[in-house]
Amino acid sequence: MLLCLEKAKVVAVVVGDIGVSTVVGDVATSAVCPLEISMLLCLEKAKVVAVVVGDIGVSTVVGDVATSAVCPLEISMLLCLENANVVAVVVGDIGVSTVVGDVATSAVVGDEAFAVSILLLCSLSGIVLRFSASELSPNDVVAPVAHMAPSRSAADACKGGTAEFPAGLRVLVVDDDATTLRIIEQMSIRCRYRVTTCTEATVALNLLRERKGCFDVVLSDVHMPDMDGYKLLEHVGLEMDLPVIMMSGDSTTSAVMKGIRHGACDYLIKPVREEELRNIWQHVVRKIWNENKEHDNSGSMEDSDWNIRGNDDIEYTSVADEAEVVKAPKKRSSLKEEDIELESDDPATSKKPRVVWSVELHQQFVSAVNQLGLDKAVPKRILELMNVPGLTRENVASHLQKFRLYLKRLSGVAQQQNGMLNGVPGTIESKLSATGRFDIQALAAAGHVPPETLAALHAELLGRPATNIMSTADQATLLQASIGLKHSHAEHAVAYGQPFVKCPSNIGKDFPLSFLTANDVSTGYGAWPSSNNTMGSVRPNNSVERVGTQNNNILMDILDHQQRQQPQQKQQQHHQQQEPLIHDQSCSINVQPSCLVVPSQSCDTLQAVNSSASVHQNCSFGRNAIIDYSLLSQKSNNLVSAAQFSGGDTKARSVLYTHTTPSTCSMSSINGSIRQLQNSNLTFGGARPFPSPLPMSDRQDPYGLKSGDSFDQVCLRNIGFIGKGTCVPNRFVQNEMESPVSDFSQMKVNVDSTDNTLKEEPNFINIQKVSRPIVERYQSCDHSSVFTE
Amino acid sequence: MLGFGADLLWADMNRLLAFLFHQGVLDEQFLQLQQLQDEASPNFVSEVVNIYFHESEKLLNNLRGLLMEKELSDYKKIGIHLNQFMGSSSSIGAKRVTNICVAFRAATDQSNRAGCLRALEMLEHEYCYLKNKLHELFQIEQQRALVAGVRYPVQNQ
Repeated sequence: MLLCLEKAKVVAVVVGDIGVSTVVGDVATSAVCPLEISMLLCLEKAKVVAVVVGDIGVSTVVGDVATSAVCPLEISMLLCLENANVVAVVVGDIGVSTVVGDVATSAVVGDEAFAVSILLLCSLSGIVLRFSASELSPNDVVAPVAHMAPSRSAADACKGGTAEFPAGLRVLVVDDDATTLRIIEQMSIRCRYRVTTCTEATVALNLLRERKGCFDVVLSDVHMPDMDGYKLLEHVGLEMDLPVIMMSGDSTTSAVMKGIRHGACDYLIKPVREEELRNIWQHVVRKIWNENKEHDNSGSMEDSDWNIRGNDDIEYTSVADEAEVVKAPKKRSSLKEEDIELESDDPATSKKPRVVWSVELHQQFVSAVNQLGLDKAVPKRILELMNVPGLTRENVASHLQKFRLYLKRLSGVAQQQNGMLNGVPGTIESKLSATGRFDIQALAAAGHVPPETLAALHAELLGRPATNIMSTADQATLLQASIGLKHSHAEHAVAYGQPFVKCPSNIGKDFPLSFLTANDVSTGYGAWPSSNNTMGSVRPNNSVERVGTQNNNILMDILDHQQRQQPQQKQQQHHQQQEPLIHDQSCSINVQPSCLVVPSQSCDTLQAVNSSASVHQNCSFGRNAIIDYSLLSQKSNNLVSAAQFSGGDTKARSVLYTHTTPSTCSMSSINGSIRQLQNSNLTFGGARPFPSPLPMSDRQDPYGLKSGDSFDQVCLRNIGFIGKGTCVPNRFVQNEMESPVSDFSQMKVNVDSTDNTLKEEPNFINIQKVSRPIVERYQSCDHSSVFTE
Repeated sequence: MLGFGADLLWADMNRLLAFLFHQGVLDEQFLQLQQLQDEASPNFVSEVVNIYFHESEKLLNNLRGLLMEKELSDYKKIGIHLNQFMGSSSSIGAKRVTNICVAFRAATDQSNRAGCLRALEMLEHEYCYLKNKLHELFQIEQQRALVAGVRYPVQNQ
């Protein structure tokens, strides 16, 4: 991005696909957009130059005022006003810049085609302008000026407002029934709304398209001959993001539900009463409020990003690690994926093919969701039902998440995300935006740092005692998970003698191809292959996913749960007691290998350092612990062993160490607690990955298993995260659906730091043997924790 | 004297309205309608009701046409018409017409042709009754307005 300015001149240049800059006088702002946008804007004094390249970007300059924006939708928009006035451009889903007089602002907006509206604050004029993406069109170059005032009134109202606010609300009423239309018109007039009536839905839609920004709210009949009211509702929802109120004489629950499902913000039963009509302005205000909130959130997200990044800068001591981070963005460009918000301010963000959610596609999506039931709709199943080529699970996940938010917004329910992810720790806490705290929480949210680490951090930073948290929700999910495991376990008897084989066999049921091959290879090598390690830990999760209706969330929950137990391990030193028990229950095979693996890490850290050591062992152990415990609970110990033994192998080690290594490198300068945190994160990544586990192991696997495309995808996906350290955008808080992403981010770390890992491997091996007894002890404690649960 | 006539007409109107309410022909939505009438639109109620009559006659014709077809009737289309009829009737407070629409729609949902025909006849009957009564009401209203219109200038003088 290039930005230069001379006094009284405005220059804004967007280079490549990354950014937008706006300069006014001495004030510069810039926004980043990840699409293929090139935009050039230059101006000489008292001249207006605007250049739009492709259908993507817009820039406007008037006199000393310049604005630029980028839009990925088919929206090109140009807006200019006279000097001393307001210029604002909002575009599609990415960027916004606004300049008023000498003040420029810019913002980056969410990432999807759900028409985005933004509240912009132009500080100079003190005017709050609200534009939605669709409100401006090329045709509207001058017209918007006229629209500003009323929308301002709406915006003002939500700030505490003018006394006469609801008056002047611009209402479009659509009904094929002239009688109703006339009555509502009259009522609206009495409410002092500015009402427009229309008897045909198609005409209404055209009107809305032609006069974007001319309406605040739409009232629509459900049954209309030319176009179903629901259809209109969807068009309006997708294209203009206006609040739509349905009305119908049909008061059946199903009809009302249908309206809500399609995104109606209210459903009035005919006859519509004046009292109801008098109240509809609330939907307009609510919408603005919500957008406002989102806007604020994104702002705080950036802040937190920034903070964390700042920390990282200090904390990164290893040059190698930083090099890895730099490398990451390059890989990323090959990535097809669409979480833009996350790296919105990452200059290295690059182009990705974007799924445009057409009305038809959205329709398919909605019907798939309805078929599954909103609560049970997971991206994978939706994808299957939709059966649209080229659509990825991530696309669907992202859209689903938005859809949920959308529904939530419409229904006015401000409650936290529905049950899906309630087990994820850090989600709630990370909302706290007090910076000192926030960093930690953000980290926790990103990596699902074990609470003990969090607690330690808290204790350190905030002087709070560390406490063990265990939510019932977690337990519930855990239970579910264990059931899933049980399912996958059915065949454990077969594999009894050979842990390796068994592990694969279990999973083979659910995941035929890739897993099996991986396992075959590993078995050939006799020892406990690394691939097994990852797979072992991962598989149960996968199977859970298959079995259960919920996807990765469960997985995360399990992991979280497991981690939460670690503190218990520490605190309750029941090792000795439990040890015999474990041995009894589980096969000797199982226990042994796990011992090998775990000790290597634990010993290393233990002897070498003080507190951090314990962390390490916990981390490495934790992943195994999950499996153990779930399995144990079902009294099938075999699988446990399978999962754990793999650690013993060299390859396994490589994987494990990869996880730990980066943390040490990057975090070495920090204190023990932080290191802990990092470690746990990393280990987690290893255990958690959903599609990636296999590929990962492949990569590091000396045997040269071929990892598919998925590998690159997965690993690279979240490079942005890694580069920033563990910064976790608020997004996670709000959109728990994204959880898989966080997994990937950790995955990526693993990959990046492979070099380091390899170097250190030998050490680990040595230690490994020595430390075996210790390992066993840990194991026992792990179990003990389970039992105590 | 004239003012007295206006009051009488006013009383007649109220009596008629009360009667219609009592019979369940109209409901309080009609009062809502009356309350919407103001200086800016002094004839609002009759305007709306005339629109309603106009639309309703079209709808009734359509309904009859659809039901009289020899072939299997298009129940879905009938349902759509009925929804509209229901919406408009309820909007002006024509309670009994609305209720018959509900029954009519239930019959279409069951593809009950005989039931539909019966409902249609009832609907037409109710509609005619409503129309007559409302016309009556508006006539009284008009007279009253006339009388009142004469009276006010007199008072001012």
